[in-house]
Amino acid sequence: MVYLRQIESRIDQGIGRRRLGYIVLGLIILFFLWFPNDTSQSNYAKTVFISGFFYAIMSSSWALLAGIAGQFSFGHMAFMGIGAYVAGLIARDGIMFATLGIAITPESFSAIGSIIIGTLVAGLVGLVIGWLLLRLRAAYLALFTIAFSELFRIMMLTEYDYTGGSNGLSLRPLLQIADVDTARQVEYYLMFALLIVCLLVMHWVANSPIGLFLRAMREDEDAASALGVNVVRYKILIFVFTSMIVGLAGAIFYSDVGSERIIPEQLEVLQMSLIIAYAVIGGMESLIGAAAGAFISRYMLEAMREVVISLPFGLTTADGGDAFVWETGAWRFALFGVVMVFTLRYMRNGLLYPFITWFSGRDLAMKETVSKRDGDGDDIVEPMGADDE
Amino acid sequence: MSDINLELNKISMRFGGNQAVDHVSFSVTKPELIGLIGPNGAGKTTLTNVLSGMLKPSSGTIYLNGKRIDGHPAYDVTRAGLGRTFQITRALGRMTVMENMMVPGLALKPNARKADLEARAQEILGMLTIEHLTHELSRALSGGQRKLLELGRLLMLEPSVIILDEPFAGVHPRLQETIYKYIFRVHEDGKAIILISHDMGAVFELSQRLLVLHNGALKERSGCNRRLPRP
Repeated sequence: MVYLRQIESRIDQGIGRRRLGYIVLGLIILFFLWFPNDTSQSNYAKTVFISGFFYAIMSSSWALLAGIAGQFSFGHMAFMGIGAYVAGLIARDGIMFATLGIAITPESFSAIGSIIIGTLVAGLVGLVIGWLLLRLRAAYLALFTIAFSELFRIMMLTEYDYTGGSNGLSLRPLLQIADVDTARQVEYYLMFALLIVCLLVMHWVANSPIGLFLRAMREDEDAASALGVNVVRYKILIFVFTSMIVGLAGAIFYSDVGSERIIPEQLEVLQMSLIIAYAVIGGMESLIGAAAGAFISRYMLEAMREVVISLPFGLTTADGGDAFVWETGAWRFALFGVVMVFTLRYMRNGLLYPFITWFSGRDLAMKETVSKRDGDGDDIVEPMGADDE
Repeated sequence: MSDINLELNKISMRFGGNQAVDHVSFSVTKPELIGLIGPNGAGKTTLTNVLSGMLKPSSGTIYLNGKRIDGHPAYDVTRAGLGRTFQITRALGRMTVMENMMVPGLALKPNARKADLEARAQEILGMLTIEHLTHELSRALSGGQRKLLELGRLLMLEPSVIILDEPFAGVHPRLQETIYKYIFRVHEDGKAIILISHDMGAVFELSQRLLVLHNGALKERSGCNRRLPRP
């Protein structure tokens, strides 16, 4: 422990924590840029990473909505589905305004055009849902969004003539590259770029005055309002913004980038719970924490499909093998549940919170406060008032 | 008329069969320090919530600096120039003291330079003797320090009328002194103050005029022999 403190002290006096944090982040980004060029990696591994990037966008945007703005919504996957389904339906059927006698043929839309419309429709539905949710808080908000999410899923499941029902809906492929290896590589970079852009935009929002107002709203809506914050405006704004982000991510991911079709099963509450769990494990008040939590969790869940344990001392299995192979099946989710329980009980800010706090230097500011308090103790009045919150 | 900051005309607030505020009318001129007293359940906090836009009155009108504000949302009332504190402090817990101060600063002056607002916040925190807590999360503050933080946030709003709801409740005598000084200073800056407190000594010492609420109705208005400001 003393040795660790010495290292910490040297870093503080030398390069500085924040700068070191940027270097670590830069190295991580370099790793992800290098990864698809590693010829030893299979296309399956790249597919796992692409899926990880997608879930990182989902969890980090949910962290912005719930962790930073305090709107604990279960509707995130539904908004993702709206983006994907609308993009798919428009690319297949076009748009018809029967009353105006206007019909736009599917051929008029490129894959990008249909993705943009899917994103806008997700934002529009976010606007309506955000407005309906204005007076709802906490459990009521969560229940409302579960109901909305289920309503949308059942619609997609039932209207199989249009949506393909449980078979799902294929979207127009965004990329048309014949060579499988090249296609995977381009898809990988596309999804990674989307993640980086989404994180940068969300980071900008979270660190702008809007982010400050969102956090004030999360802490106490009435107090924020009394301090001049237009709570209604920011509540709707954050719903529209995050709905558009996940709508865009869904429309791109299911345009044969990460998956070839969107199925209603993806919109189930269980899937939404996983998004929340990833964010909680990583740290739901930190965008980067939630994104990292989602990526690492997705990777671990895939890596744990089959656990191989080499047997020591020349021991063999009943069939003569030198390793014990455990097909984990659903047990990997049970283990994931244990991690979730541990996080909620002992590290409510997420498993990555200590690292984020350390690299950001936030704990240094707190130490400075404590040292000032110790130094100026005589001037500080210790109130007798109840510490009631 | 031009000296009147706040004017209430027959304000009533009813919750089902309960008449919490009953045809209350009064006006506040600047700079005036008014004590609003009454037993528990008299309607003081309800009246505060109506004034600050937290509740829409059942009937009556409110004008603030010539602008009608009854039924307006709280943020709009705040921007019109009315600031308030809460009976139970409502610090934004998982935000630092500086962030607590910056919320009203940026909400009211979105185009102001961040550095200027931070300098102003630091100055106010210094006046309130909590500048050493700038980077502390406000949930780590004691009850009394949170009271001071609420008072500091009010100054960031630069309101013309301030409602202080039980500022002395549960506060150490030495901290009370800081709050006293705050009230004197803010009043001397020309702001109108409505002071709600069960601490009769403080109300009598500070107020120029007293309003007594009972069962939601204004029962008495009287002058007060306010002492000279403390040094």
